Amino acid sequence: MGGGGGPARDLPITLGGQFMRHMPRYVAGTVVLAVFQLSLNRIDWLSKAAIDDVFGAAPEQVTGPAFWILVLAAVAFVARVSSRWFIFNAGRDAEYELRALLLHRLHRLGTAFYRKMSAGEIMSRSTGDLQQVRLLLGFGVLNVVNVLFAFASALQVMVAVSGKLTLVSFVMLPLLIATTRSFSKQLFAKTRANQETLGKLSDVLQTNLAGVRVVRSFALERRERQRFDRANESYLEASLALARLRGLMGPMVGATSAVGVLAFFWYGATLLLRGELSRGDFFAFWLAYGRMMWPMVALGFALSIVQRGRAGYARLKEVFDAEPEVVDGPSPAPARIDGAITVKHLSFAYEKPSHTVVDDVSFEVPAGRSIALVGRTGSGKSTIAMLLARLLPTPKGTVFVDGEDVCQLPLSAVRENVGYAQQDAFLFSTTVARNIGLCLDDCDAEPSIVRIRDAAREAQVLEEALSLPDQFDTVVGERGVQLSGGQKQRIALARALVREPKVLVLDDPLSAVDAKTEAAILDAIERQAKARTVVLVTHRVAAASRCDHILVLDGGKVIDQGTHEELVARPGLYASFAEEQSAATELEAIDVDAPGHAEVVA
Amino acid sequence: MSAKTTKGAKSAGTLKDFHEEERLGQAYDAALLRRLWPFLRPHSKYLVVSVAMVVGIAALSLVRPIVMGNIVASAQASRPDDLFVHGVTLSLLVVGTQAVSFAQMYAMQIAGARSMSDLRAHLFDFMQRLELRYYDRTPVGRLVTRATNDVDAVGELFASGVLNAIGDLVQLVGIVVMMMRLDARMSLIAFAALPFVGLLVWFVRGRAREAYRDIRVKTARLNAFLNEQVSGMSVVQAYAREDAMAGEFDGINTEYRDANKRSIFYEAVLDAAIEMVGTVCIASVLWWAGLQRLGDARITFPLVVVFTQYIKQFFEPVSLLAQRYTILQSAMSGAERIFKLLDDGELEVEAAPAAREGGAPVSAEEALALEDVTFSYKKGVPVLRDVSLHVEKGERVALVGATGAGKTTVTSLLLRLYEIEAGHARVLGKDLRAWDRRELREQFSVVPQDVFLFAGTVASNVAMSDETPDLSKVERALARIGALDVFLRRPGGLEARVDERGANFSAGERQLLAFARALYRDAPVLVLDEATASIDSDTEARLQAALEAVMEGRTSIVIAHRLSTIRAADRIVVFHRGRVVETGNHEELLAKDGVYAKLHRLQFALEAERAAGGESVAAAAV
Repeated sequence: MGGGGGPARDLPITLGGQFMRHMPRYVAGTVVLAVFQLSLNRIDWLSKAAIDDVFGAAPEQVTGPAFWILVLAAVAFVARVSSRWFIFNAGRDAEYELRALLLHRLHRLGTAFYRKMSAGEIMSRSTGDLQQVRLLLGFGVLNVVNVLFAFASALQVMVAVSGKLTLVSFVMLPLLIATTRSFSKQLFAKTRANQETLGKLSDVLQTNLAGVRVVRSFALERRERQRFDRANESYLEASLALARLRGLMGPMVGATSAVGVLAFFWYGATLLLRGELSRGDFFAFWLAYGRMMWPMVALGFALSIVQRGRAGYARLKEVFDAEPEVVDGPSPAPARIDGAITVKHLSFAYEKPSHTVVDDVSFEVPAGRSIALVGRTGSGKSTIAMLLARLLPTPKGTVFVDGEDVCQLPLSAVRENVGYAQQDAFLFSTTVARNIGLCLDDCDAEPSIVRIRDAAREAQVLEEALSLPDQFDTVVGERGVQLSGGQKQRIALARALVREPKVLVLDDPLSAVDAKTEAAILDAIERQAKARTVVLVTHRVAAASRCDHILVLDGGKVIDQGTHEELVARPGLYASFAEEQSAATELEAIDVDAPGHAEVVA
Repeated sequence: MSAKTTKGAKSAGTLKDFHEEERLGQAYDAALLRRLWPFLRPHSKYLVVSVAMVVGIAALSLVRPIVMGNIVASAQASRPDDLFVHGVTLSLLVVGTQAVSFAQMYAMQIAGARSMSDLRAHLFDFMQRLELRYYDRTPVGRLVTRATNDVDAVGELFASGVLNAIGDLVQLVGIVVMMMRLDARMSLIAFAALPFVGLLVWFVRGRAREAYRDIRVKTARLNAFLNEQVSGMSVVQAYAREDAMAGEFDGINTEYRDANKRSIFYEAVLDAAIEMVGTVCIASVLWWAGLQRLGDARITFPLVVVFTQYIKQFFEPVSLLAQRYTILQSAMSGAERIFKLLDDGELEVEAAPAAREGGAPVSAEEALALEDVTFSYKKGVPVLRDVSLHVEKGERVALVGATGAGKTTVTSLLLRLYEIEAGHARVLGKDLRAWDRRELREQFSVVPQDVFLFAGTVASNVAMSDETPDLSKVERALARIGALDVFLRRPGGLEARVDERGANFSAGERQLLAFARALYRDAPVLVLDEATASIDSDTEARLQAALEAVMEGRTSIVIAHRLSTIRAADRIVVFHRGRVVETGNHEELLAKDGVYAKLHRLQFALEAERAAGGESVAAAAV
């Protein structure tokens, strides 16, 4: 692990660049394709010789041509396998590299990009569109080259046998190419339409199942069934329309080529009759004509694949070309960071500049001290936390670590030293240990295991982790064990603690945690604060009160600041928070099962 | 926690096993096909016709080489008339075969697509009756996949013509029989290479299948990983794990590529080998023919042509075998997952016709009653404990309590979204378990906390369950809550478009629509879960008026978050940790200085203060 991300940076990102990069294999593939078609061409001629021998004066001479046919069949076998091996593999390698590049690029893009392009869109690009590109660079290239050679190789036999017969047999050729071309175009259009109706069906299902409580509460089953039936019906229609087209393609191509075959057999037999053609000529022509059919059909497809591959690449390019908003600064990484934070006149808006989320905020935290950012939902406190770690495009000259503008530092230096633990605890669907040890390179090593356990203990999640089916090796998430919100949050906290950064930014780490656990975690955070700078984003007074300094935010502005004692002493947002939360604590303390409460229950 | 979702991880444990979990073993095909049959049966006539046509096509294909031979023969014999007849026959034969093939494929598709559509509808109905608990522990995406991707995988059986293998088999046997009849010894020479082909196909097919299965597993992992990277991007970036993640991804990406390369190789070997063997067969036939010509003259040129054509036709279906087997495999694993859902999902219990009478005598004035009700979502963690609550007709009751005290659960139980564990409940004098769910729910107008709007129009959202909204009734409902002007102001008025989930309406507007919905529905009982979200003061005033209008003359249960709502109630019921701890009106409860008094300080003191003059705070919160 670790080194894999490096090479991706140097890979060519353009279609042409990828093509050039795998050029040796394309050349090799082209050479073996030539060998392949040449062997087939020779086999036709040998067959002619064999037939002429068999039905001519010297049947005993057939052994020679028959033997050489065997040899050439083997050559053709090897050439055919290796042509696919070279060219298809080049396509696969290009796909592999482009996919690595895609992730590399995605890793560098920020929220502005992810706001514009949904996860579903990105996934559709990385699967469907990338597949189109791969088909272009593999199947497309091979077929275009092969068709050219096949054409030349077959034509050589056919023209040599009889120019007239060739012309007659080719009556339908233009029509055949036109037919397959138009079919493949329609086929792609219908396939897309089919996919779209399937997408609609999924949407209907998704909405229905996500809103299952509403549907049941309002007894809307009948109406929902109708909605589903409509979507189901149109999907059925679309798939049958696709089937009709797919089914028609065979007969149409077949019928078109049948006319050619008929023309050949009829006119060829006439020539045979007149003695203008030997039996061997007839046979060789037939073989050559036969092996031209498939490449002709494939040509129509190959052309459409080239077209779609380019369209797919254009969509991929939207990701490749997206500009990362957060990039490395010019200064070198400082040798040592103490963790003093200075924020000067920080303002920030996500989209429109008029919609300011953070408005002229300034504060200072000396290294090793702690600060709490307190405020309601939407007060801008989380945005400030993310700006500290440059997870959003921090404006230049507003955030300083040890007096150095974070925008001037390399991104890796900022993010390694300013550890940010986010609000919604996103866990990866891997083991508990790997989630906690996210920042460790080797989670299975003995020292890592110790660190992971220590962090779990500090975050008050050790016992629960040990009670899971496979303890720390239990897989969590979508396909593993589902954890409660509080458990997830504490695992995410442990993940942040393992990191031991110089500046620890905790974004509301306790929102889903009960009071008792909260107190224990706060003790742990306090221990942390002895070794590092802590920025705690919270709406809980109990948490804020443990910090050296408190900033009260509202509407993106600092409306008050001071120590806990100072703030509770004067009326304001903080004091009313304190009042609210002491009521909550008292409420929490009421034990309805205690004997003293019996009369209340009655 | 669901045993089903954890089984894979539980039995094996390690991360590796977890990832390989999807490597489903060989599905038990026959049993699965038998279970699919009920869905196919209604469309079986298409299936029968299609299979019959497959056999017909095989027969037509067998005739084709003979006709080709005849053409060559009549050319050799210098009979132009015969040549013409055979030529026309050949073209008719080819076009006819293609036409029948089309009919055959299409009939197969109709049978397949329609039965899959039925299967989807069956799954949909099944999901509508699944116990709500099932949804609590199953991601919605997984259920959607069952009804879409998995059904499609089964449908591929028909779409890709896997069942045409029957026709192929007929054709293979037919070709062998025809060739043996024409010239037994030459056939043996032609097929001398067959055991070799058989061996090769068998060898390569096994490996190709392995590779295909690998690809399926790796594709799933690849996409899951990428998807997770995108959704967890901020974590990856915050922890500066881009390179490590790229490294991990590289492992999966490489495995995926290599599995594909293996399949490329095997496929190429199979295709090329079959073509090679075809050529070899033709060469041996020529060689044999030459040797025979030395002895007697029985072998004619037309015969060689016929043989060559048969040989070509023989190898076509063989090359499709591996591919078809793969489709069969993925269809079977799709079917396996579908039937697993149908087997494991627990359905809602049907109404019991003769449910026991619930304890106390029913008075004519009683609207709702809970008696000693206990309930838990998770075993051992009760959410409601011995809750008793009686509501008279026309009474307005406010349920108050901290988050998680059990208020919403009470309403869920009344609607029978979940079954009560112990105790009794009555709605309008009838035991809850005796109600038909649909009829029961028609007695309620529900205004949920988070209003769910459907894509449609304002009118269709107000009318909800009515197929065609009664516009004048919609208008009256909106007017009654004093919000008609709000919606008429929009372009389109009552017919204004509502996006999926009502994304183009503000939270306040959605609330107003939900109130109008309740009035339109005109059910005897109102259940209102008040929104906690902050709403601008103008809408706030409208909502208060709307609430009055909706509650008037109706039995109402309100989960209250606003002081004004609580004051409008006849009675306040205070919940704390799953129990009813206090009952009374606002003043009585405040005087008691118990749970309610504390709650009041917690939830409403700020509101009261704000209402008194803290306008600046309210403005800042918007």
